[in-house]
Amino acid sequence: MSFDFELLRDAIVFGLLLGCFYAAVSLGLSVAFGLLDVPHLAYPAFLVLGSYGTYMLYTLGFDPLVAGVILTPVFFVLGILMYRIYYETFEKRGADSGVRGLAFFFGVMFIIEVAIIQMFGVDQRTVSASYIGRSLEIGEMRIPNRLIVAFIVALVIAATLYLYLSRTFTGRAIRAVAQDEGALRLMGANPVAIKQWAFGIATATLALAGALLIIVAPIEPTLDRAYIGRTFCVVVMAGLGSMGGTLIAGIILGVAEEVVKIYGASWAPAISFGLLLVILAVRPQGLFGR
Amino acid sequence: MALELTVSGVEASYGAVRALAGVSLHVGNGETVVLLGTNGNGKSTLMKCLIGSVRPTAGMITLNIDGAAHDLTRLTTEEIVNLGVALVPEGRRLFPKLTVEENLMLGAYRSAARAKIADNIALSYEIFPVLKERRTQLAGTMSGGQQQMLAIARALMSSPTLLLVDEPSVGLSPLLVSQTIAAIGDLKRRFGLTVLMAEQNFNQALKIADRGYIIVHGEIAYEGKSRDELANNALIKELYLGAAAH
Repeated sequence: MSFDFELLRDAIVFGLLLGCFYAAVSLGLSVAFGLLDVPHLAYPAFLVLGSYGTYMLYTLGFDPLVAGVILTPVFFVLGILMYRIYYETFEKRGADSGVRGLAFFFGVMFIIEVAIIQMFGVDQRTVSASYIGRSLEIGEMRIPNRLIVAFIVALVIAATLYLYLSRTFTGRAIRAVAQDEGALRLMGANPVAIKQWAFGIATATLALAGALLIIVAPIEPTLDRAYIGRTFCVVVMAGLGSMGGTLIAGIILGVAEEVVKIYGASWAPAISFGLLLVILAVRPQGLFGR
Repeated sequence: MALELTVSGVEASYGAVRALAGVSLHVGNGETVVLLGTNGNGKSTLMKCLIGSVRPTAGMITLNIDGAAHDLTRLTTEEIVNLGVALVPEGRRLFPKLTVEENLMLGAYRSAARAKIADNIALSYEIFPVLKERRTQLAGTMSGGQQQMLAIARALMSSPTLLLVDEPSVGLSPLLVSQTIAAIGDLKRRFGLTVLMAEQNFNQALKIADRGYIIVHGEIAYEGKSRDELANNALIKELYLGAAAH
């Protein structure tokens, strides 16, 4: 096969935009798993739930992005309830809560999948909007507007989370809580309340991320499985809990997937797990881990 | 502000192991009281009872602030901190992956301290200039002495009226122990704090003590009404003979 420069250039540009989308869907996990150490395996299921929520509001006449914004506070409350159940049934009992938590979230993932199938069936769903289907033409390149929308929203979520986590008292407490809960208590903060709030925020990001998911491509109930590898890969590669790192790790995954697609599209789904294993072996603290 | 801490008949245990067997002591407004004792005699357990992280099985802990009495055995740690009590814990307990400045900011978490955050940070940097130089460094990468300074500064960020210090000398070289304890004395004067310090380094602790207690096997074995009384009693000589070299 001769080397095709244009193909590679397109793959990199596409990968960059796709990567920002991957970052957007991973930022909440960066908080839940990266900062709080909660093995949130059901995270991608909540992402797909966000997409179906967007779809439902879309059928009522809302723009998909507006639907994502409307669903954000709903998902925040959902996240708080989710953490409450996890805390009362697992974390509070200590010791091997990690492994049991994994089983718990695995179960939650299946419940969400089945609930979605019951409500919406297994057919693919899609939405339309003025920014879906059109492209921006730069020279010979055509960049789909839906990827540009995803790119912008990803930057907005990442910047908002970064500012919140570094500039507010609660944000700093969220970053401190997994490092030493007892010490945080000595500062006058309640670690359980802090974690619950943070879990709410992590889940809230999935409303907009879910809207992006259905804007970028059609969805189906078991789409979450493709995102387990992608989201965990991005979060671990970033270095647990780094928002800027999550953005860059997302881009690396996006570019890697697109470049590999040139040579063998069937390998693309394995890229995320492959990268995850390499990172764990070579640099377990992640690219930007402290 | 008038403040008074009264501990009476406090007992505490870890499972079958009794750590405190009826401890009574008293700290008056503006005093620096030291709680002396070697390892494993219950100093840290008492400190944990005072901050609400260990619940006594018997006894009373009362903090009187301007005539209002608060029963600390019934309050959570958060509520005790909000009354203006700060603990510099044994082993420092910093947030190792946050910067020096972020650790200090977390110290000012309680609402009463947030308004004074700029003043308190400036004061912390004035008293411990090394913290200013290293304000963007991760706390976990600093030396033991610097970490102890940060732990003390972080406690002061909450604008406390009662400062509890648990074993500030652990893991520090003799010179640093002397500097750290001198800094606590200095801070106490500048902030008008009331201080209760648990310490096993008797000679150093006495430098800033108004008076103190000696705790042995979970009981107060001796009460010294002045620094001289403490320094010259027979029990101290017995417990610290040979250990008082520095």
